[in-house]
Amino acid sequence: MLLEGLMAVMQPVTIFLIAVGVAVGIIFGSIPGLTATMAIVMFLPATYSMSASQGISMLMALYIGGISGGLISAILLNIPGTPSSVATCFDGKPMADKGEAGKALGTGVVFSFIGTLIGIAILIVLTPVLCDFALKFQAYEYCALAIFSLSMVIALTGHDMPKGLISAVLGALLATAGLAPIDSKPRFTFGLFQMNNGFALLVLLIGLFAISEVMAYAESVRKDQGFTIESNAKIKGAGFSLKEGIAQIPNAIVSSLIGVGIGILPGIGGGVSCMISYTVSKNTSKHPQLYGTGIMDGVVASESANNATIGGAMIPLLALGIPGDACTAMLLGGLQVHNVAPGPLIYEKNGAVVYAIFFAMIVSAIFMMLFMLLGMRFFIAVLKVPKNYLLPIVLVLCGIGAIGNANMVFDTYVMVGFGLMSYLMIKSKIPTVPMILGFILGPTFETNLRRVSQLASSDPFYHHPIFCVLMIATILVVIFSVRSNLKEAKRAEAEELAAEAAASAAAKTE
Amino acid sequence: MKRNSKFMMDILPGIVIALFSIGYLSLIPKIQTFTGMGSTPLTNHFVPALWGGFLLVLALWLIVRGLRKRAAFLKEGGKIEKFDLKAAFDEKREVILSFVVLTIYVALMDAVGFVPMTILYLFAQILILTPTSKWKKTWLPALICGIICAVLFYFIFRMKLNVLLPQGILKSFGL
Repeated sequence: MLLEGLMAVMQPVTIFLIAVGVAVGIIFGSIPGLTATMAIVMFLPATYSMSASQGISMLMALYIGGISGGLISAILLNIPGTPSSVATCFDGKPMADKGEAGKALGTGVVFSFIGTLIGIAILIVLTPVLCDFALKFQAYEYCALAIFSLSMVIALTGHDMPKGLISAVLGALLATAGLAPIDSKPRFTFGLFQMNNGFALLVLLIGLFAISEVMAYAESVRKDQGFTIESNAKIKGAGFSLKEGIAQIPNAIVSSLIGVGIGILPGIGGGVSCMISYTVSKNTSKHPQLYGTGIMDGVVASESANNATIGGAMIPLLALGIPGDACTAMLLGGLQVHNVAPGPLIYEKNGAVVYAIFFAMIVSAIFMMLFMLLGMRFFIAVLKVPKNYLLPIVLVLCGIGAIGNANMVFDTYVMVGFGLMSYLMIKSKIPTVPMILGFILGPTFETNLRRVSQLASSDPFYHHPIFCVLMIATILVVIFSVRSNLKEAKRAEAEELAAEAAASAAAKTE
Repeated sequence: MKRNSKFMMDILPGIVIALFSIGYLSLIPKIQTFTGMGSTPLTNHFVPALWGGFLLVLALWLIVRGLRKRAAFLKEGGKIEKFDLKAAFDEKREVILSFVVLTIYVALMDAVGFVPMTILYLFAQILILTPTSKWKKTWLPALICGIICAVLFYFIFRMKLNVLLPQGILKSFGL
């Protein structure tokens, strides 16, 4: 079966389809509003006439290309191309602003490749073991996991805790719109059928990141500045030295393992994995204060985690038929179209296709790295396009992405609404990033909390060791984060007072 | 002035968020609950009430913090400057205009169609993002850019990738 799978992928037609899939995926991933999910949706009908191995290989290539492509716009435009690249913006854009766009892209591409390979390796080697572990996760464990992940928000908020928490709660609150989990009763839909599914994550992301970017530029139109961003066009190799690359390997491994772990758990995809790995990398770093100022570590943590999530998300999909995120949900449809039934018996019934998927993922990862490294100069050239032309075009593409999400123009109204909200939040110094975490984790928390409320009388919490461990970890994260935030707040206040005193002294001298 | 704006950054958002959370909480009793077989002890009211209540508490925290900063500012002999709406509007002219054209674009897209509205939007938005001194050189490239992008995107996404972009007036031409 292993050889059969290898032979299926090594066919020239399949390799060509994988190359096309990766290239299209990167383009979709790099354009904000067009995601890997959308690329898979759009190309799914095109695979109907292909063999199972060819069709699924192409869908896998679209998936890997789509997730990886998100880093391009995250670094060059500060707009994540996909939700998985949110945390890439934090250090990727400051690096580009410092003239290190090539280095940031090179770092993102190489560590995306490494993350993908680590994810695939774990997918292949540890599938049975990890599946057994994932099977142990029930309502209690999911509820605790959501609480634990939400507690990470406190670590993300910096010195202004109430504003960070407001953002996260606002995200969770927005996620309550639509049909309620479990009983499917409409909530906050205002009688609009378009609201039954609630707000789409993609539309929220476009509003939060794309529109605010245009408005930030609009604010600076009258200031004396050029339309182009200077970037270091002289790139050698991958954009960074071997020494720098080797120094990042422990960070990449830890982040990839976090990415795989989160990918395995259904409902929590690359969007959360990149944020959590970024936070973990920051908290365990010797120089956490440099995060967000444009250092490789942040890009490595985010990109290796989100690409490793691909391998993790494939584990429950193949072994249990449970999709880990929207992309794998689309892949589930693709597998079914080609009469491949995911589940515990997949190795027995469609073993060759499973191995073909593994090989297609490896080939896609290689193509992804080659295309992105060779196309790096082209991607940097995007920076040289005048922003007064580029940003409106990007916004139109985002609008198309919002419409294509559910084929509804209504989503563009929501997009503008979120854009306005995001702008006001930024002006009020309320961070927008915790909102995404709240929006993603809110429904997971609610669904499982309500399930736990049903189970509590017959199945008490102390029968769930994973739940207990996660809750203890949550308490520890909260205590340490609050202490660290209070220290940071005091330091910021002292620095501000010193600056004010210096300014008033200077004024008196004049 | 710096401190003045600093406490307003807490008070104003705090008031807006508090009002929003009160509005949100007031809608919760209108949600239908399911009480049949398989219903959960925690109804679909619980989590929205939890988030709404938490948001209200946080908003009040922000307001109180802002008021404390204001009191400290006044105690230090600070003078609260009057808010000049006209100056604020002038300062944010491009941002306000961008939101206006974006709102008009999405509001009329369904009725008028993707292509004509995208041409108009791109033309207007490019000009808004260009200093007025450079408009003479920019208006023609902006128009050409608008036409090319609108037609190209419509062809790729509507014709080739089956994204349901609104046809609007193009429907009468069978496009």
